[in-house]
Amino acid sequence: MSHDNVLEVRSVWKKYCRQLKRAMWYGVCDVGRQLTGKRNNAIPAEALRPGEFYAVRNASFDLPRGQCVGLIGPNGAGKSTMLKVINGLIRPDFGEVRIRGRVGALIELGTGFNPILSGRENVYINAAVLGLKKREIDRVYDQIVDFAELGDVINDPIRTYSSGMRVRLGFSVAAHLQPDLLIMDEVLAVGDIGFRMKCFQHLNQLTEKGVSIILVTHAVGMLPRVASRVVVFDRGNIVFDGDLEQGISLYEQKLSAKIEQRAEKVSVNSQTEGAIETVETCDEHGQPKSDFRTGEKLCLRIGIRCREAIPKARINVSLSSPTTEVITTTATVQQGLRFDLNPGLHQFLLEFENLPLLVGAYFFNLSLFGEEMDDFHHRRMAVGTFRVVGVDADSGKLGNTVSGIVRIPNRWKKLEG
Amino acid sequence: MSNPRTESSVTAELPAGWPALGLPETVYDAEPEIAHPLRLLGNVFRSAWEGRELAWRLFVRNVRGMYRQTALGLLWIFLPPLANTAIWVFLRAQRVLDFDFPSGVHPTVYILTGMILWQAFIDALQMPLNTLNQNRSMISKLNFPREALLAEGLGDVLFNTLVRLLLLLPALFIYGANWSWAALLAPLVALLMVLFATGLGLLLMPIGSLYQDVSRFLSVGLPFWMILTPIIYAPPTGFPGNLLNWLNPASPLLMCARDLLLLGNCGNPAALWYGLVAIPLFLFGLVVYRLALPALIERMTS
Repeated sequence: MSHDNVLEVRSVWKKYCRQLKRAMWYGVCDVGRQLTGKRNNAIPAEALRPGEFYAVRNASFDLPRGQCVGLIGPNGAGKSTMLKVINGLIRPDFGEVRIRGRVGALIELGTGFNPILSGRENVYINAAVLGLKKREIDRVYDQIVDFAELGDVINDPIRTYSSGMRVRLGFSVAAHLQPDLLIMDEVLAVGDIGFRMKCFQHLNQLTEKGVSIILVTHAVGMLPRVASRVVVFDRGNIVFDGDLEQGISLYEQKLSAKIEQRAEKVSVNSQTEGAIETVETCDEHGQPKSDFRTGEKLCLRIGIRCREAIPKARINVSLSSPTTEVITTTATVQQGLRFDLNPGLHQFLLEFENLPLLVGAYFFNLSLFGEEMDDFHHRRMAVGTFRVVGVDADSGKLGNTVSGIVRIPNRWKKLEG
Repeated sequence: MSNPRTESSVTAELPAGWPALGLPETVYDAEPEIAHPLRLLGNVFRSAWEGRELAWRLFVRNVRGMYRQTALGLLWIFLPPLANTAIWVFLRAQRVLDFDFPSGVHPTVYILTGMILWQAFIDALQMPLNTLNQNRSMISKLNFPREALLAEGLGDVLFNTLVRLLLLLPALFIYGANWSWAALLAPLVALLMVLFATGLGLLLMPIGSLYQDVSRFLSVGLPFWMILTPIIYAPPTGFPGNLLNWLNPASPLLMCARDLLLLGNCGNPAALWYGLVAIPLFLFGLVVYRLALPALIERMTS
């Protein structure tokens, strides 16, 4: 194990079975195997039984001291299984995990809270479950209560607490564990915004002190606040490990692809007068292009085929990102344009000068209407997917931020006096 | 960094960075833990030791939680053996049932003692599975010394049994018994009985956690099992009834503890063998518990 690594994951494979009855029987077999000491087949591919698949496939990564890494990926990608293996809850089927030092886990806040007992009693129980000794708890008890902002309420039974108060107390206990490696699964999307900011701040302090953090989350928007690196999971595989911005944009692209697949299933049954046939993004010269930089020009080319004439047609467009939903909308009527479409193929061009979007993946939803709003012809969801992979060279130098969704033009002034 | 390490070996010597940071290293891999039985047993004991404080907290939590949620509090501990005893004593008084009882002890004391011990036996037997089910969310999400949960459960069983034994004081005072110094051995035998039952329960736990059939079977079977155990009647002496004294795993230690206390004799020679098996069985159960948990957690939904 390397000097400064707190965690090393080496070629970890983990099987999973979705069929209930089979999983139960395999459970009996696995317990038997543990008792008899029978080893797995030598090769992962041969070790699968009927109905099983690998939830984690050949995963390897390291975590150095004091680094915060985000594990992201679509649902069912294997992130939580990976966390369970790292946390020692389940054993890998192949490969190994090496951890140096104490592990703290925030998987579900306040696990083990007893609603009847007071907050104070629960702090001691919860901290003991998480591995603290009595005198260690005594030492940080006041900090825990302060951090959770509970005051005198701490002496009331937990069941009188609001869910926010419970979560705050749970986080506060776990945050004061002083682990060497902190594992967190989707726990930051809770609490009010003020408390969340405080959590981020606290996590940053922890990493400065040398604590390493693994963060599983779907709220990728908040990752840049704490993490400096991401590992992207997709169907059990690690498909990316490295730079935050690149990883997030890859993840969003995967999400858009999923949305696109789902949308395609919805929109095939269009036998109406007109249909949106093609949608693609291209550069200012009309060349198809899907990777853009902030500040570049993006054109959306739309092909509409009409079987019958549509008088005074309108096109509505919305621009979305998989994580933030709709960013903006536009429509032909905004420019007072209406088109009388004859049968045949028609091409339209929608131009975005000086694209203000920051790193991430994006897509369009388009609808075709006739004269009235209820005169609906066709809708295409999640089309024209594109990525923003970085800022344009000029503005990068000027110190423009890369986190967030959009760049808003701004100007700084120092006021005299 | 400079020293090569063997990929396959779990027991790889401490890597170069270890002394620098002074932190213990943990390895999780696919190697079955049972491959090194001595180390495995050592891990069980170490884990139990590390979890002692947690076990105590959980035990206190349970007791406090129960008192705060009930109006009758302690009474609920007394109730099951008391109600059971009352029914059988009543049926006997009505001459609905006319079983034999050993001479030298009042039937009410005899039944009550047997009931308290029986309750301890089945509480201990069901404890591992109940503990696992009650703490599912904790077990499947957090890594902590799991032996603490068993220690807490065992503590509950013993605490309840001790509290129930208080019932015996007035009963013995009213009805009297044949005291002898042998009675001092009774608590030890009762403890062995609880360990034996816990050991059995630990072996049932893995299958019981996967298949609900086990707990259903227990809830159907326990009343019959009680009838087959000599609690409300004197142990059968003729063949084939006396076979039960040997084959019914609940009988020997229960009979021995009760007869030591009330009659001053061992009650059932089979108790010796069961007593010898009790502690190894319990330890084996602990090993099974530890080895089975990861495979069970994989299948837990919550």
